[in-house]
Amino acid sequence: MYGSMAKGERPRRGPQRPSNEGKFIVACSSTSLWAGETTWFCCGAAWGPCGSAGGGACGNCRSAANHGAWPNASQACWDITRPDQCGEGGIPRRGCGSVMNVRHQCSGATVCITITDCGPRTRSFCGEQSCCGGSCRVNRILDLTPAAYSAIGSLDSGVLPVLITE
Amino acid sequence: MSLLASLLPPLVGVLLLVSGALKVVRRSLRAQAARSALPRLLKDPNRAVWVLRGTGVAELAVGIGLLTAVPAAAVGGALLGAAFLAYLVAGRAVAPESSCGCTASDSAPIGWHAFARAGAVAAGAGVGALAGDPWWTAFAERPGVSSAMLLAGGAGLAWLAAAPEHQWRVPLRRLRIRLFGHPLATGAAGTPVAASVELLERSLAWETVAPIIRSGLLEHWEEDGWRILHYAGARRVGDAERPVSVLFALDARATRDGLTERVIRVGVVDRETEEVLTPELVAAPGA
Amino acid sequence: MKNDTPRLGRRGFLTSAALGGATIVGASALGALDADAAFAAPGPSLDPAISQSAFAEGRIGAIQGSLLHVAGSHGERHRIQLTNATSVWKARPTTADDIEVGDGLYARGVPMPDGTMAADAVWVNIVNLYTTIRGIERQRLHLAHNNHALVGNTIPETSASYAGGALTSDLSRLRIGQPAQVLGAWRPADDSIDLVRVTVGH
Repeated sequence: MYGSMAKGERPRRGPQRPSNEGKFIVACSSTSLWAGETTWFCCGAAWGPCGSAGGGACGNCRSAANHGAWPNASQACWDITRPDQCGEGGIPRRGCGSVMNVRHQCSGATVCITITDCGPRTRSFCGEQSCCGGSCRVNRILDLTPAAYSAIGSLDSGVLPVLITE
Repeated sequence: MSLLASLLPPLVGVLLLVSGALKVVRRSLRAQAARSALPRLLKDPNRAVWVLRGTGVAELAVGIGLLTAVPAAAVGGALLGAAFLAYLVAGRAVAPESSCGCTASDSAPIGWHAFARAGAVAAGAGVGALAGDPWWTAFAERPGVSSAMLLAGGAGLAWLAAAPEHQWRVPLRRLRIRLFGHPLATGAAGTPVAASVELLERSLAWETVAPIIRSGLLEHWEEDGWRILHYAGARRVGDAERPVSVLFALDARATRDGLTERVIRVGVVDRETEEVLTPELVAAPGA
Repeated sequence: MKNDTPRLGRRGFLTSAALGGATIVGASALGALDADAAFAAPGPSLDPAISQSAFAEGRIGAIQGSLLHVAGSHGERHRIQLTNATSVWKARPTTADDIEVGDGLYARGVPMPDGTMAADAVWVNIVNLYTTIRGIERQRLHLAHNNHALVGNTIPETSASYAGGALTSDLSRLRIGQPAQVLGAWRPADDSIDLVRVTVGH
């Protein structure tokens, strides 16, 4: 359905998933996908410096919708984000339209998002950690629109530890 | 004119050598290729990298040819320049927001600069094809005028090779910092409120009461070494909701980098009756 | 909230409520990295007070008392009601008095039957941009964002995080050429931004 992982590659974090996964993706279900940090970004028509962002890699990204950007939305995307440079080489391909459930690790607040863009630039912030509840999430592996981010946290906080399921 | 025709090939040659070498040795070529219009034109990111690297090799070959006055190199250079122009026209039509991918660190969208650069390569090499003498012979005949022309041409090409956003400014700014020191504060101002908020949001205290908090940080103040952070929230009483204030007190100097165990105090107050609700709503973990 | 004497009295009361409250020790700088355990961990124990929140985005066209008329970037219209429980962020936690016509806004709140949104939190002019530092001066950073030049003004609240460290007011370790995530408040007047946090990697 979506581009699949290369043979022999497995997520470094998160339980292993059954090999026939991905055939029927139920919106926002609870199979663990990945864990890490999320930041936020703006897209679509917007005010201020956000106005230059456009509709994102998928063309339909909007700040006011519960959307997100995934670092392996496509090969071209991967070449820009390069999570493998931070030891996150196993992040699976999830293209435009993929649906994920994002849970704030500290508060448990959750939001259901659709992938509509490529991001964040994982490679620029290798090793960055956010910790709470006795466990730490490493590396920026998700970007949320203001609508999605503010549903689980405060926009002025900038970065959150999250658990992602699908 | 014949002097100009003799001197243009080495100038274009140096430009091609530099941009070709950077394409061949650059490790982040994949990212450069991804930003360019090539993946859209070729419909394959891997092929785009190979095309970019192949172009680099061709640039190197033509550059060396131009410097050593191999006659065919001038024609090759003119063809290369023409090919760049064709690519830019196609790239601008297919993916106007993508970068040119022409020089090493170029990430700006295709603009007039890229066209001027490609045009200079085509024209410079083309005119060079008309040269009678190799450049070193021409130079030896009229060294004064030749030096001036080479200098002027070199400056023009260097300007063309730079990205449009005035990249020469960045090295100047770096130099100024090196000479006069870093101009920004070293942080005597104490712990920023944002650092306290960050510490709070990663704490067990936050985890415990986050579900009843609705607002962002309303206000903050300091008292006796404590930093007080005030949020608004709501608690459910039967079917109705009552507004509450959620207050946190933490060491005004503490940040999440500190090694000591952090104590955070939490209070919950009804916003209308001022009744203190802490014992009812917040059970300290482990208590 | 409006004048000083009740505020001091109120703050005194709230301070005592905070200091006399439950003491919760423990944060989690040195935590485990095991994601499996985190996925398995139970959620929080308190019932969430909010079931569903609404979101609005746009530019403020008019302000009527505590009601903001907002034009969404995709043509929507919002009426956003501020209350004394609404947090207002505009480069710092502030009050509704700081909000101006022409400002951009993100708001989270609860939809009301009359079509307004009762805002829990509004963030005015907030931006969070991936940039590259192109110049450093005494009162500003020159940044490049999406190939556009952008000026970031330092303000008293400006803080920085280096390689994952805690936020500090020490800005002297920022370097030209570094990629930087910049959270700040856009200034519509001159299109610059006031820097609140600058995050750089290694």
